[in-house]
Amino acid sequence: MTEDRTLTTLSAAAAVAMLAAAWMIFVYAPQDALEGPVQRIFYLHVGSAVAAFGSFALVLAGGVAFLWKDSVRGDRLARAGALVGLVFTTNTFVMGMIWAKPIWNWDPSQTWDARLTSTAALWVIYAGYLLVRRFATPGRPAMRLAAVVGIVGFIDVPVVYFSVQWWRTLHPGPVILAAGGPQLPPEMLLTAGVTTLAVCFLAGVMVAVRYRIEARRDEQEERAVAAQLAPSRTSAP
Amino acid sequence: MDSIVQGTPGLRFLTVALTVARKDVRCELRGRELLPALAQFIVLALVIANFAFDVDLVQGPRLAPGILWLVLVFAGLVAFGRAFAAEKETGSLEAMLLTPAGAAAVFTGKALAAAAMLVACEAVLLPAMAVFLGSPMSPLVVATVLLATIGMAALGCLFAALAAQTRARELLLPVLALPAWVPFVVVGGRAVQLAMSGQSLTALPLAGQPLLVLADFDILFLVVACLAARFVLDD
Repeated sequence: MTEDRTLTTLSAAAAVAMLAAAWMIFVYAPQDALEGPVQRIFYLHVGSAVAAFGSFALVLAGGVAFLWKDSVRGDRLARAGALVGLVFTTNTFVMGMIWAKPIWNWDPSQTWDARLTSTAALWVIYAGYLLVRRFATPGRPAMRLAAVVGIVGFIDVPVVYFSVQWWRTLHPGPVILAAGGPQLPPEMLLTAGVTTLAVCFLAGVMVAVRYRIEARRDEQEERAVAAQLAPSRTSAP
Repeated sequence: MDSIVQGTPGLRFLTVALTVARKDVRCELRGRELLPALAQFIVLALVIANFAFDVDLVQGPRLAPGILWLVLVFAGLVAFGRAFAAEKETGSLEAMLLTPAGAAAVFTGKALAAAAMLVACEAVLLPAMAVFLGSPMSPLVVATVLLATIGMAALGCLFAALAAQTRARELLLPVLALPAWVPFVVVGGRAVQLAMSGQSLTALPLAGQPLLVLADFDILFLVVACLAARFVLDD
């Protein structure tokens, strides 16, 4: 029960952090001279992308832990990370499209940006990861196959990141990690930093909650198996 | 059999892989099941593309790169899917894995044979495209397609082996393999577009040379697939 109380406290803290980030985005950060209010999407767009990549890193770490040490906990972490990562990828994706609409005069039938396409590929890979879990024999076989998909899928993450440099695209190059130092005013940089931290914290809490749900589900399944085995044990001579 | 058991680990791996590949190719040559069906599939796909796009002399060369990759990707799904589904149906994959041969070597052999099958498809596809769509067949197009086949076979066979162990293998293979092939289609598509429009690649910077990037992808995904194969095949 203390674990559940900790999770409730952490969830409340994440909500407060997101509210603080919202204040910084809409009140503290200055308006962009060229793009106007739409530019404020930037903070959550980048924050969600970082949180999504972080969650997929957890899928990788969990998969490696399962294959190497046979750790069921690692697999549970990967399950939680995949789901949360998918939510934040969707978020990044939708926000990017909303932002691109007025700024690039974006129209999906006219412009297929490389970053957009590879993010869609990333999304489908992790959706496939969840499908493997559904279609494989439950238990260890599903964990083993999913771990492989999670590890191979993660290789797509750097391809997404570097696709901006590899193929010419409309998507801007790195702004914060640019070669000549950050190309943002200090207020915007601070807002971006705080928002990214807040979104990552929220993602972390979501992973923890999901991990708890998965742990409960595993316990329930174990109990169900034990209950089915119990009568046959008593009837045996 | 003695030649398989003896020798250094590297040589042993290679011998096992080649033996498995030879077995698959021989099965195909004797049974003649997959190749005629695939060749028919390719010609049919081109005929449908011809009607669907209403191809004429002007449009043909412009649409050809896209049609090439679409047909190749779907032919690949069929070829790689069959490679493991057939073994699974007869239960011979388990028998092969019970032998002292390593899972990675068996996987490499299966991938080699499947890649050879796809190369045979390409030998039908490229001339057929020249006939149906009037697209030029340059050495650059052939080199691009062959380089992409290596990496696609590595990833495709890995996911085919994985999907063969699940309930919905026909459904799962495209869902897993298609997004993983995106890098090959993006880089290969660009190279074929340039080659078919008659431009040379020398104008591009060294780091952006599609053939080099494809070779990099091949090495990366070959290593990843061989490392992961053990966990996929190990029941």
